[in-house]
Amino acid sequence: MSVAGHQVEEPEDREASFSALLEDSMEDLYDNAPCGYLSTLLDGEIAKVNATLLTWLGYRREDLVGRRSFADLLSVGGKLYHETHYAPMLRMHGEARELALDLVTADGHRLPVLVTATVKKNQDGDPLLVRITVFDARERRAYERELLRARREAERERERLQRLTSTLQRTLLPAELPEVLGLEIAAHYHAASSDQVGGDFYDVFPLDADRWGFFLGDVCGKGPQAAVLTSLTRYTLRAAAVHDTDPVAVLSTLNSVLRQRHDPGAPRFCTVVFGLLQPDGDDFAVSLASGGHPPPLVIRADGEVDVLTTPGGQLVGALPDAHFVATSARLTPGDVLVLYTDGLTEARRADGLMLGEDEERLPALAAGFAGTGARAVVDSLAEVLTAWADEPSDDTAILALGPRPPEAR
Amino acid sequence: MDVWSRNHVTVTGPEGGRPLVFSHGFGCDQNMWRLVAPAFAADHRVVLFDHVGAGRSDLSAWDPERYSSLEGYAADVLEIMAELDLRDAVFVGHSVSAMIGVLASVADPSRFGGLVLVGPSPRYVDDGDYRGGFSAADIEELLDSLDSNYLGWSAAMAPAIMGVPERPELGQELTESFCRTDPAIARHFARVTFLSDNRDDLAAVTVPSLVLQCREDIIAAPAVGEFVHRRLRGSELVLLDATGHCPHLSAPEQTTAAIAEFLRRRSSS
Amino acid sequence: MSGLRITTAAEGTTHRVVLTGELDHETAPELERTLARLPQAAGHRLVIDLSGLALCDSSGLTTFIVARERALAAGTGFELTAPPPPVSRMLRVTGLDRVLLARHPQDA
Repeated sequence: MSVAGHQVEEPEDREASFSALLEDSMEDLYDNAPCGYLSTLLDGEIAKVNATLLTWLGYRREDLVGRRSFADLLSVGGKLYHETHYAPMLRMHGEARELALDLVTADGHRLPVLVTATVKKNQDGDPLLVRITVFDARERRAYERELLRARREAERERERLQRLTSTLQRTLLPAELPEVLGLEIAAHYHAASSDQVGGDFYDVFPLDADRWGFFLGDVCGKGPQAAVLTSLTRYTLRAAAVHDTDPVAVLSTLNSVLRQRHDPGAPRFCTVVFGLLQPDGDDFAVSLASGGHPPPLVIRADGEVDVLTTPGGQLVGALPDAHFVATSARLTPGDVLVLYTDGLTEARRADGLMLGEDEERLPALAAGFAGTGARAVVDSLAEVLTAWADEPSDDTAILALGPRPPEAR
Repeated sequence: MDVWSRNHVTVTGPEGGRPLVFSHGFGCDQNMWRLVAPAFAADHRVVLFDHVGAGRSDLSAWDPERYSSLEGYAADVLEIMAELDLRDAVFVGHSVSAMIGVLASVADPSRFGGLVLVGPSPRYVDDGDYRGGFSAADIEELLDSLDSNYLGWSAAMAPAIMGVPERPELGQELTESFCRTDPAIARHFARVTFLSDNRDDLAAVTVPSLVLQCREDIIAAPAVGEFVHRRLRGSELVLLDATGHCPHLSAPEQTTAAIAEFLRRRSSS
Repeated sequence: MSGLRITTAAEGTTHRVVLTGELDHETAPELERTLARLPQAAGHRLVIDLSGLALCDSSGLTTFIVARERALAAGTGFELTAPPPPVSRMLRVTGLDRVLLARHPQDA
């Protein structure tokens, strides 16, 4: 056997040369090992300790052997941990691994260490004594403390962000929906993330003595920019409706406003349905316009479902001369008008199928909720959503308006 | 709420036997009783369970509000006893569970035939003339010890840093270890355990009681055991020739014998 | 594994971009960079083939709107072709079908 032309020593020769080179005194190996080593009786009394540990601690052998127990060497917190975790683990398991403890040196300093202990047993399996190795862990502990500090900091920051987000989110949604005589109004909002303000919005508000405006939409993007856009959109819609209640005019105003500060690289647009609601006897007349938004549904009391399409209506803010399309409906008692964002129709099941993949699915589901009222329809749709997608990944808003039967007013 | 799965309740022994409920202390789970409980299963209905947050309890049942005081844990004990419809039960509580048993027996004495308090302490922190054995700073140091030791669970650390609160991998990590405890819950439980003050509750106990005290115990010193014994009317005190805080592990024969003797006298009286 | 494959080919003054996969908030920036690099000039045409698109969300829509505006500003023709049914529906609901889709498929 040769390596690069040199004869390699025979195994016996190597062993002899290792033997000469290495300390083969077991005592030296024990005493001057690069780790602390001690043995204790089962009750913790120190029976043997190596020189390395004595040096670390600043004790003489006779200070410890037969006089102190292992727990005596620990900080108070360590003693508590020892009694509640380490000792039970050793008794039950016969070993305890990689425990992070602080030893207290003779002059009162702390020495962070990692401790591993095993119980030595006799031939019958009865425990005899405990062997403990002690590794200096000063640097590791300092690093871990820093890690822990960073984690706490991160957790605090995250909580702060979530508080801020939820506050901001609340300001973007109506604190409460108005009371409209004879009308049941219900809404549901699901924010996909607790860290980011969602882009869905809705509102219902009085226009004059017997007319109400309502809208529901979805701005592009998420986070701070989406929040700014949502805020602008909401106030513009409410203000525009004061000047001209025609839904198409309201959306055109919004389109102009969103285009005013147009940045070609970062378009600001939204899809939205804006509508007017006016009582007429026991009924309500609805006129609405859609700017590129999924079509509202009217769930008739008898189970029919009308899909209020507005073909050609374009999303708001994306194009200079966007085109909007109006439609109207009459709601009789028991009917429910439902507006929703694409968080509902684009919710994906585990296998990837979107809830609205089949355009007939949502109207068919909605038909099943006929005659239950606006609140029940919203709750049922929210259930449908969570049943379809365990954790809906997009924001979802649902708004429902339904005339109450005269006897229930 | 299904208390069976919430507290991973296990029942052994004959249906008609006198109920004996073992309640583990801070840091461990029902496995702690495995050198003691089986001795009673021949003629007692032995009930073991894990406090919420420990062992195989249902971690999703943990609620920081409910478990912000020992009363929440005591309520769990009463719910377990009600679910099993236990009457005249002897409750054996170790460490913090001793006080949990005290609170539960005061709230509803009708289910209790006796209390066995293993290494009890009604107050760990010194207060005036009272010597619980620890300062508030010592308790903070214990919390640091807990943090240092749970740091080893890097699986729990990394997602927290990244801001992901869900830690599904933690469950797997914990299944391998004895005395499984969720780190966040352990920290909370430690705070509740070591900062509670139940000295005034002791006088309200009406059921017979036995205090098992180790000769040397830094967590609950003999003087603390005597304090508990004095405050509990008509209680017995047995000093075990054992060291440490867990005589049911370090001296299971003595512990078993003392409990058996207490049971024998309770059933003959 | 989700992802988007983008291939571009030039035929004279027509740039054809073929998209395969999922166009969402993760992949849209890459498409945006690719489209921004394409030379634009009066008389040129930019055609984006959507036939291989399994998914397109609002980030994808934003990218198309931005690309269209840039193209129009430069005098370049812009059109999307062959949207699969879900993308087609999205373009229809948002009313963008008439602006973004090729009006005369035979020319595309």
